[in-house]
This record gives sequence, structure tokens and C-alpha cells, in this order.
Amino acid sequence: MELFLEALASAMTPMAIASIGLGSLIGLIFGSIPGLTFTVALALALPITFSMDPVPAIGLLLGTYIGGMTGGSVSAILLGIPGTPSAAATVLDGHPMAKQGNASIALGTAVIVSVFGGIFSLIVMIVSVDQVSRIAISFGPAEIFALVLFGLSTICGLCGGSLIKGLISGALGLMIMTIGIDTIDGVQRMTFGSVNMLQGVNLLVAMIGLFAVPFIIEAFAARSFTSEKSQRISRVKAELPSLKLLSKNLWLMIKCSVLGTGIGAIPGTGGAIASFLAYDHAKRFSKKPETFGKGNIEGVVAPETANNAVTGGTLIPLLSLGIPGDPATAIVLAGLMIHGITPGPALFMNQAGEVYSMYVAVVLAYIWVLGLQLMGIRLFVHVLKVPRELLAVAVLVLSAIGAYSIRNSVFDIYAMGAIGVLAYGLVSFRVPITPIILGMVLGPTLENEFRTAMMLSAGDPEIFYTSPTALIFFSLAFLVIGLQAVSEFKAKKHPKNEVKADA
Amino acid sequence: MTNSAKDIALSVSLLALAVIWTWLVVDTIRPGFSNGDIGPRAFPMVLGIILGGLSVLLLIRTVALRRDDSGAAGVGDVDAMDEEATARWGSMILVAIEIFVYAFLLQKLGFLIATPILILFVLVIHLRLTSWKTILGMTLGMTLGCWLFFEKLLGIYLANGSWFNIG
Repeated sequence: MELFLEALASAMTPMAIASIGLGSLIGLIFGSIPGLTFTVALALALPITFSMDPVPAIGLLLGTYIGGMTGGSVSAILLGIPGTPSAAATVLDGHPMAKQGNASIALGTAVIVSVFGGIFSLIVMIVSVDQVSRIAISFGPAEIFALVLFGLSTICGLCGGSLIKGLISGALGLMIMTIGIDTIDGVQRMTFGSVNMLQGVNLLVAMIGLFAVPFIIEAFAARSFTSEKSQRISRVKAELPSLKLLSKNLWLMIKCSVLGTGIGAIPGTGGAIASFLAYDHAKRFSKKPETFGKGNIEGVVAPETANNAVTGGTLIPLLSLGIPGDPATAIVLAGLMIHGITPGPALFMNQAGEVYSMYVAVVLAYIWVLGLQLMGIRLFVHVLKVPRELLAVAVLVLSAIGAYSIRNSVFDIYAMGAIGVLAYGLVSFRVPITPIILGMVLGPTLENEFRTAMMLSAGDPEIFYTSPTALIFFSLAFLVIGLQAVSEFKAKKHPKNEVKADA
Repeated sequence: MTNSAKDIALSVSLLALAVIWTWLVVDTIRPGFSNGDIGPRAFPMVLGIILGGLSVLLLIRTVALRRDDSGAAGVGDVDAMDEEATARWGSMILVAIEIFVYAFLLQKLGFLIATPILILFVLVIHLRLTSWKTILGMTLGMTLGCWLFFEKLLGIYLANGSWFNIG
């Protein structure tokens, strides 16, 4: 207890609080601009921490990480363009809510449930860091492959009216991610001898293309066939979600927090998988599944809770085993080590004070994020007052900056344009584009884990069906696919209930 | 174009893509070294085959549904808003050109020259805006605002031109 009070005192200094606040603000800004992720923000923030004391330094990094994870929802809701891959599932219902004039409610709900998910996962982490890290580390390539396959099965829930078109879209996403140098053998695949193609298609570039370019095309096209007067996205209200709305979704928030924490604890997974799984879960168990994709608040609650619950989950293997779950936590790990904090089993014995300070820093970061974003909502919603075509011009320039800044390569802007036009063509043919993102997010992990598992078993597929964990995930995947096939068959019998394909 | 005609066009295009993809994969990527080795060719090839299979399924389903519905061929099935559709496709082509030209200009002229050219083109030629206040405000505001915010404040590198460099 004494140690905890000392840690509390060191984390509550004005310098530490200001650093955490600055980190949260930087994270929010980077997270909310498509293409500028919190990984970039962390990379830029890391050198700033060199001359700082350990607690404010780590607070700055954690604040950036948490702010970035939360900030992705802002552009996802307001513009339908996710700021980060983790916010891709939030677009599905968040943006329709904005179009209906409920942007502030969606934004407010997103930040409140994000804070809930984040704090929940932190508590789970504090209570069960030993047990969860032991379970998480027992996940080998076969188990992660099965988990990712289960994640892919959620494509079925994102198909809209046609399972076949959803699967086609998912297959296209998986195919795109095989382009470039194969990470296991170092062989070039479908590069056609181009140096630019060696790195493959960057996920963020593809995401900007898939969501931003169709938005720009629609906005410019609407201008040409509607009246000369500028079109605005919607009426603008600045109101926050009611307590009743939040309490109604409390059980969903708890379930998605558990899911996000669990997924986050498994290295190599991440917020995007957690948010899509949570979205699918919410839709499957909702009383009104037909309203998903049309502005159902549960479609915002589930992914936003889960992707922020991942933050606590990723800290479990990071602190207890020194294993970063994703590039962002790898930078946090570097920051920890620069300041003399070496994660691993001995951390909790040798540097318990610093660990407690980090727990306090995470709570403070969430408080900052909550305050900044709730204050910012009144400002953010005014984006919707800007005429749609002018907003599209700004999005065009920002998207190009975002795509370019990822690798300082103009090729990425060409790739963004090509993918965007392809996405628009697919939408015109009523093919949902969200499964493409899911395929792109999960594709590399799916392939690498499968091939690694087969290497470990010397080519014997037994490795997949002798693991109880893998079998559970395989069963869940088949269950999800089976249920979707049955419901589509029923929908074909009663075509009135068929739901239109989402875009 | 009716929805079923769109689906047929889509499935045939995707089938062609799947065949070309699979052929290129088999032709250009080496397989694994032994039976147990899952080489770099396996995943792209399987995905090409899956895409082909799904395209055939879509084609069969569309043709079968079309036959079933032939008696009640739909007024509602026909895309009634041809004008809007044309505007959308036209807009798509223009936006694609704008993005590609902007990328080229960024490389050659740099952010500070390429961006106002793009914005002016979009506002004046594409959107046919006539308010000079809006045009000037957007052009200068976006260019200088982005340059100050990203390059000067956040330290994010914006493109410098290879022909001119005033960044």
C-alpha cells in the first residue's frame, strides 16, 4: 500500500499530469486524421521523452497510445473514414448516426465506452496479469491461426444481403495482402518487377482509399446532380448520450471489454480483430439485428469498448513477459527500456513502484481523453456544417498527406487512388467493402501463423486438430458461417426481410 | 443496367480476374520445397481458386434467380436513376485523374505548389464554384494550414518537388 501511495504521488506531479495530457492530445489528433496513426505519433513522441523523468516519459507514451486508440472514432463517425484500423467497425453504424444528425451522441458514446473498456481492461490486468499472461503465451501458431480464422468468419455478419458477395470481398482483401515480399521465404509475389510493389499494399493506404475516395466521389457527384446550393451532411446537434442509453448497454460493454482484453493479451492480434469480433457479437445477440448498419448505437458501443479494452490487454504480455503485441506497444516497450524499466517476470518484484505509476498514468490518460473529447464534441460536430463538397476537397488533400506520410512515397498516393476507385466500383455493384478491410487486417497473420504451424509440425496438419483451444475457435468459426448461411437461406425464402448490402 | 445484369457482369469480371491471378501465381511464384512445406505460392493460389469458385457460384445463383423471376421481371430491378449513375461514374473518373495528377505534381513541384493547383482545379473546373472568396479561402487556407500544421508543428515531412523546391 505504501508503495502504491508513493507511485500515486509520483504520477500526480504537475509535470506527469501535463505530459499525460499532452500525449493524449497528440494521440487524439493523430488518431483522428486518417493515415496518421498513433504508431506514428508514438514514434515522434519517443525522442521527446529522452530527457524526461521515467514517470512523465512513460505517461506521455501511454497517453499517446490511449488517445490514438480513442481518436480513430472521430473521423469514423463524422466522415465515415476510420482514423485507425481499429475504428473501421465503428464506421458501420457511427457514420449513419452522424448522417441522421446524432453525431454528438455517437461521439459521446464512443468516448465514454472507450474509457469504460480501457479502465475495465486495466483492472483485469492488475488483478490477473499472471494468469492471463500464462494463458496468452500458451497460444502457439495453430491457436492464433484458429483465432484469426474465427475473426474472419465475422465477414458473414458484415455481408449485408449476400453471403457470396461478402466472401468475395473478403477474398479480395486477403489477395491484396499477399502482394509484395513474402515475410517467411523472402520471395517476391505479384510485384511485376516494381520496386514500389516490394513492400506490398500498406493497410493504412488501402483503408484511406477504401473509405475516403468513395466519400470524395459521392460528394462531388452529388454536387453535379443536385441543386447549386451546397449540400451539408446533416443537421447538427451537440448533445451527449443519456445515462439511460449507457446503462441499457452496460452488459454489452462488459462483454466487449472482456473480449477486447482477451484478444489484446494475445500477441500479434490487435484492436481491429477485437472490434470486428465485438461488432459481430453485438449484431448477433441484438434484439434488432436488422438495424445494424443503419445507425444502431450498439454498433458503436461494441467496437469502441473492445478496441480500447485491447490497450489493457496488450500491457499484460508487455509488462509480464516483455512481448509487445503490436508496433505501437513495441515503441512503448522501447520507451520503457530507455528509462531503465525492463519488462519481464522480475518487473513486478524489482520495479513495482514504476508499474503502479504506469497504472495511475493509464487512468489519468483516460480521464484526459474523456475530458478532451467531451469538450471537443461541440467543436467536432461543426465539421458537419461545412458544405459536403468542400469537406471532400479537404479530405482529398488530407488523405494524400496521410498516404504519403506513411512511407514518404508518392506511390502510396497512386495506390490509394487505385484502391479507392476499385472500392467505388465494387460498391456500385453492391459488394460490401468492409470485408476487404477485415481480409487485409487478418490476411498476413492468417498466412504466417498457418505456415509457421505447418513448419513446426513438419507438414503434419495434426497440429490444428489436437489443440483444444484451436478446436474451440474452429467450431465457433463454423458455427458463425453455418448460422449465417441458414439465415440467408431463410431470407431468400422471405425476400421482404432481406437487408441491403452495406458499403 | 438491372441488378441481375450487374451481378452477371461482376461475376464474369471476377472469374476472369481469378483465372489471370491464379495463372500468374503459378507462373511466377515458386512452390514449397517439399510436400510438408507450405511455400509462398500456396496462399495466393488457393485464394485465386476460392475467388474463382465464389464467382462461379454468384453467376449460377444470379442466372437461376433470373430464370425464376423472369415472369415478374422488375420495374424495381431497373436502375431508374441513369442520370445520377452517369454523374457518379463521371465523377469517379475525374477524381481518379485528380488523384493521379496530384501525386505526379507532388513529386515534381512539391506540396506548396501542387496543392493549390489541385484545389483550384477541383473547385473551379470540377465543382464549378463561382464564389472567389470560397475558392481563395479554400486554396490558401488548406495549403498554408496543412503546411504549417503538418510540416512546421508536427514535423511530418511533406513532399518536396524534384523540379522546384520551395518547401
